[in-house]
Amino acid sequence: MSIWLTYAGMAAVTYAARAIPLLLLRNDPPAWLALWLKYVPPAVFTALIVPAVVTQMGDHGRVVQLGPAVGAAVVGALVAWRTENAIVTVGLGMVAFWLIRLVVG
Amino acid sequence: MSRWATIQQGFLATLVVWPGVAPFGMVYAVSALSAGLSFWETLGMSLIVFAGASQFTAVGMFGSGAHPFSIIATTAIINARHLLLAASTASYIRKSPTWLRALVAFQLTDETYAVGVQRFTQHGGDAWFQLGSNLSLYFVWATSTIIGSLLGALIPNPAALGLDLIFPLTFIAFTVPMLRDRVNLVVAILAAVISVATALVLPGSWYVLTAGILASAVGAWLARRQQLAQMEPINENS
Repeated sequence: MSIWLTYAGMAAVTYAARAIPLLLLRNDPPAWLALWLKYVPPAVFTALIVPAVVTQMGDHGRVVQLGPAVGAAVVGALVAWRTENAIVTVGLGMVAFWLIRLVVG
Repeated sequence: MSRWATIQQGFLATLVVWPGVAPFGMVYAVSALSAGLSFWETLGMSLIVFAGASQFTAVGMFGSGAHPFSIIATTAIINARHLLLAASTASYIRKSPTWLRALVAFQLTDETYAVGVQRFTQHGGDAWFQLGSNLSLYFVWATSTIIGSLLGALIPNPAALGLDLIFPLTFIAFTVPMLRDRVNLVVAILAAVISVATALVLPGSWYVLTAGILASAVGAWLARRQQLAQMEPINENS
C-alpha cells in the first residue's frame, strides 16, 4: 500500500473524530447536556497540562516523574493568576525551568 | 464585523500558540526525513493529516516498517480526543452552516480549540473566528515542516531545551484565569487526578477523554446543585 493511501486512512479517522460531533450537534441541546459541555473546557485544558508536566514516557508506558517542569508550571500558574497574560506566563515559566535545571543539575 | 475581519482576528489571536508549535513542526520534519520519507511525503502528512502527536507516532512506525492498518488504528486512538474538543466547539458554533462546520472540523486542534473557547465564552461563538484560528495553526505547522526539512540536522532537539514545556505553559495561561470560578476549580482538580491516573494505565490520549468527560460531568452536577440551592429560599416563602 502506498504511503499516500496510509495518509488517506489517517486523515479519514482523524477527520471523523473532529467532524462527527461538529456535524451532529446542531439543535439546541437539552439543558443537562449544555451544562455538561460548559465544563468541558476547564476539564480538557487541565488534562492537557497536568500529565504533560508530571509524567514522562517510559519503556512500559507513562510513569510519574517530578522534575523541573513541575516548578516551572507552578511559577507559570502564579504568573497567569496575576497577569492573565499568555506570553508573560510562558516566558517566565521557561526562565523558571532553565533556572531550576541549572541549580538542580 | 465582516467575515474577513473575524477570520483575521482568529488568525492573529492564535499567534500566541505559535512558539509552542513551530519547534515541533521542524523536529517532525527532521525525524520524518530520517525515517526515510521524502520531502513531499513529509510535507504531505502535515497538510493532509494535520495532527502533531499522531504524525510523530506515525513517523516512528513508518521507520520501523509497521503495517499501514496499525498506523491508521494508532492514529485513530491518539486522535479520539478530538471527539470531545469538537463536541465542545459545536456547542458554540452549531448555528453556523453545515459546510462551514465541516470546514472548521478539518483543522480543529488542541491549540485552536483553546483559542476558540477563550473567545467564545466571552463574546459568543463564531465559526469564522475558529476558521481563522485553524488557518493560523495550519500555516505555522506547514511552514515549520518546510523549514525543518530545509535546515535538517542543524535544528537542536527542542525537548532537550525544555521547549516541550511551552505547550502546557500556554494552556496554564488559558486555564488559570478560569479557576476564579469555584466550580471550574473543582473540575480542574478532578481532571488533574483523573487524567494522570488514566495516563498511567491507558495508551494514546484516552486521558483527555476520561478527564474531559468525567470531571465536566461533576462540574455540571455541582452547578445544578448551586442553581437549586439558590431557588430554595423562594420556595420556602411561597
